[in-house]
Amino acid sequence: MRPDTFDDVLRDTLRQEVAETASGLVGLEERIAVELGERRPRLRVTDWLRQLLAPTRSGRIGQLSVVGVTAAICLLVGVFIANQFGFTGNTPGIRLTPSQAEDGGQEVLFVLPALDATDVSVVGNFNAWEPTPLSDDDNDGIWTASIPLPPGRYEYAFVIDGRWWGQDPLADEYVQSFGEYSSVRYVGGGDGA
Amino acid sequence: MNRFPPARKSGLIVLLLVVWLAAPAAAQTPISDFEEAFLTIPVSDVARFITAVELGMSQPDFPAVDVLRFIERFASTAYSASEKEAVLVHVIAAMEDGLPVDGLVTKGLEGLARGVTLQQIEQSLHQRTILLAETRDLLYAKGIFSVAPGSPQSVPTALPTPRFNLLVTHISDTIADYLEGGGSPFEGETLYQEVRFRLTSLEGAILIAEDVDLVLKRIEPADMTRVALSAVT
Repeated sequence: MRPDTFDDVLRDTLRQEVAETASGLVGLEERIAVELGERRPRLRVTDWLRQLLAPTRSGRIGQLSVVGVTAAICLLVGVFIANQFGFTGNTPGIRLTPSQAEDGGQEVLFVLPALDATDVSVVGNFNAWEPTPLSDDDNDGIWTASIPLPPGRYEYAFVIDGRWWGQDPLADEYVQSFGEYSSVRYVGGGDGA
Repeated sequence: MNRFPPARKSGLIVLLLVVWLAAPAAAQTPISDFEEAFLTIPVSDVARFITAVELGMSQPDFPAVDVLRFIERFASTAYSASEKEAVLVHVIAAMEDGLPVDGLVTKGLEGLARGVTLQQIEQSLHQRTILLAETRDLLYAKGIFSVAPGSPQSVPTALPTPRFNLLVTHISDTIADYLEGGGSPFEGETLYQEVRFRLTSLEGAILIAEDVDLVLKRIEPADMTRVALSAVT
């Protein structure tokens, strides 16, 4: 066979192959979708969970699934609690984000872990330095009080069983007053940038 | 069905209007309460103290309730009348000078709540009163003025009194806190940054952005040192 004849034959063969392949690709997506739909019926959440938790051929993978799902649930619960209490990760450590109150001010949550305390209150320039009690209804040692405050700058300290403590980790800043620390919370407004 | 005839309806509207207009006046603390508190101490010159309170009350942002609470709590302490008066006189002097007294009152209340001595409270209030006056004078020197609310604004840098007073209060409080925390008055740049942080943190909350910009553009670190030095020398 002459070289130029060989080239012609080769070109024709390739063209035919491409044409056949291209015609085979028409409607491929729909066919795949239909086939997948037939093979995998849509799972309900309970079925999905059961399938996820079911023992597999590899026991280790099954255990990992359990651990993974548990971690995911913990994460979801954590996010829920964080949203409820207004904790966000926008500063080093935990920061309290006040929720908006009806009067244009904000409902500010004061939180203090004090495991052995019997009486915890907060005093500040928002209550003329008169104690507002914190409560620990579930006796877990976490004392809280939610106080509606109009926008402004508030100096405060916690009073734990009669002892003042002015270094709230959730404060925006600290000032020294009469030789002791007071915490400061800004409500509303800018970021101090 | 119309339940009220037109005459009764307009009467009702007038009544509501009167109640609405009278409400702030009723909420105002009566001057007789102040007089009673001053007499309880008793202060040496009740007339002077009352005049100062009346002057303060003429300002729209005067914290009458807090001032009265402050005086009453002082009156109930076990110190001598002269010791109490030595503290109160700073707040009275500030009122006489037309200065905002919110910061002084809250500092005094804090001192009482903390159980510190009257001498400590007196020193703190003395320093803060000086800083208030110096800060106000600094703003005046920088062309930032105070005008009564509702008055025509002759120049853009003439701010209504409550806005002006807020700036004076927060600038002077920042300097006072800085000095009370052991800061050096010669650290003008640090002081300026502290003031800047305080004002911008309150921007949009209780301070207007334009006012904050105006002040931060016109004051300088050297001004902060000058004001701080006035309170420690």
